[in-house]
Amino acid sequence: MSHPSAIQLIEAVQIFLKEAEAELDGRLGFHARVAGNALAIVARELAQQPDAAEAAALAPLGGASALCEALRAGQLSPDDPAVLGPVRAAVLARLAVDNPRYATFARLRDRG
Amino acid sequence: MLDPMRDGKAALQALIERGLAESVTVGDVAQLTGGASSATYRVEIEDGSGPRLLIFQRTAGDMNDSAPRSVQADVQARAGALGVPVARVIAKTLPSDDLGDGVVTELVEGEGLAPRWLRGEGYTAARAALTGQCAEALARLHSAPVSHWADLPLKGGSGAELLADMFGWYRRLGVDVPAFDLAFAWLKPRMPQTPASCLVHGDFRSGNILVGPEGLTAVLDWELTHLSVPAEDLAWLCVQAWRFGQWQLPVGGFGTRAALLEAYGGGVTAGELHIWEVYGNLKWGMSCLQLADDHVSGRVPSVERAAIGRRVSEVAADLTYLLTFGEL
Repeated sequence: MSHPSAIQLIEAVQIFLKEAEAELDGRLGFHARVAGNALAIVARELAQQPDAAEAAALAPLGGASALCEALRAGQLSPDDPAVLGPVRAAVLARLAVDNPRYATFARLRDRG
Repeated sequence: MLDPMRDGKAALQALIERGLAESVTVGDVAQLTGGASSATYRVEIEDGSGPRLLIFQRTAGDMNDSAPRSVQADVQARAGALGVPVARVIAKTLPSDDLGDGVVTELVEGEGLAPRWLRGEGYTAARAALTGQCAEALARLHSAPVSHWADLPLKGGSGAELLADMFGWYRRLGVDVPAFDLAFAWLKPRMPQTPASCLVHGDFRSGNILVGPEGLTAVLDWELTHLSVPAEDLAWLCVQAWRFGQWQLPVGGFGTRAALLEAYGGGVTAGELHIWEVYGNLKWGMSCLQLADDHVSGRVPSVERAAIGRRVSEVAADLTYLLTFGEL
């Protein structure tokens, strides 16, 4: 196993960024931390495929673009549970990748 | 444009002397925050009464819709006269200063980093007092009629007009975010048509106020000030992004809506606050989209802006929660 996977390369760069962050002050140190967080998003995205999950959730409404167009044209109501439900599922799929620790993630996922 | 830490030190000294109408010596100048387009400096000066610290803030080559610093400074000074706690304005730059669009103010004691005063043990009394203090500061600001500000070039409009402007902004970015379109569609029949009735701070939130052991010491960052209605400021303070994890306390991570409305003294209903809260969360989401676009378009390549682009998902969740369950 001498060939590191994409995830292993990401992990290696994350370790490097942690080391660099400890040596850097102010703006550069902050940016090193932001860069580490961005790589964590990339790692989750590789594992979870949120584009496919979002497309599947919104398929009954014709996909994201068609849904947006219909809302702009007033053809769909923002109060309709048949609209809110799929949007909720799509939003959760994205947030599970972008920031699963965000407080609203668990609230939106778990509330009945 | 001169650098206030180097070749612009003499110009900065002349600016401060003009404001204080006395001769001073500028000592150490240190940059506190900011990057290429906007920066804040701490300026050590020595005048007749000894050494003290001032703040110099400036903007260069602006690309957002902020009010010019000189207008911000006038608004800030007048807000102070209305009883809002603000840093006293000492001097405004002129083009001939070659220091950019800037303003010198006094330095006010207080903690600016919200997570520190939201969680720190030394701020228990401050957190208990803060909802009332914020409501009072906003009530004082909003007490002046629109005519009080009529000589200043300020943007603004009715809620419906502000929403229409924001929708135009969203469409220019050319992206499809279903939760944002849900919010636009929900807000469209609900935003008030009544004209602006007061000046709002426009960015009054945890992170833009200074807090000491007894609570609010200064209201900072007046660049988004505009004409609107009181509920916009009150609701902006309740946007999820500035609760810093303390989501059970919707007012900035430290208070309840009922306490805020009661301390404000009437005139804003819970229903109105809710509509403007949806608007406020959407507006924060638009800022995230804009910062992402700055990077993606190549205009301002930045790891920070790229990463903020993924915070759009946070706002999408907040908006979906608000529209599904009625309160966040």
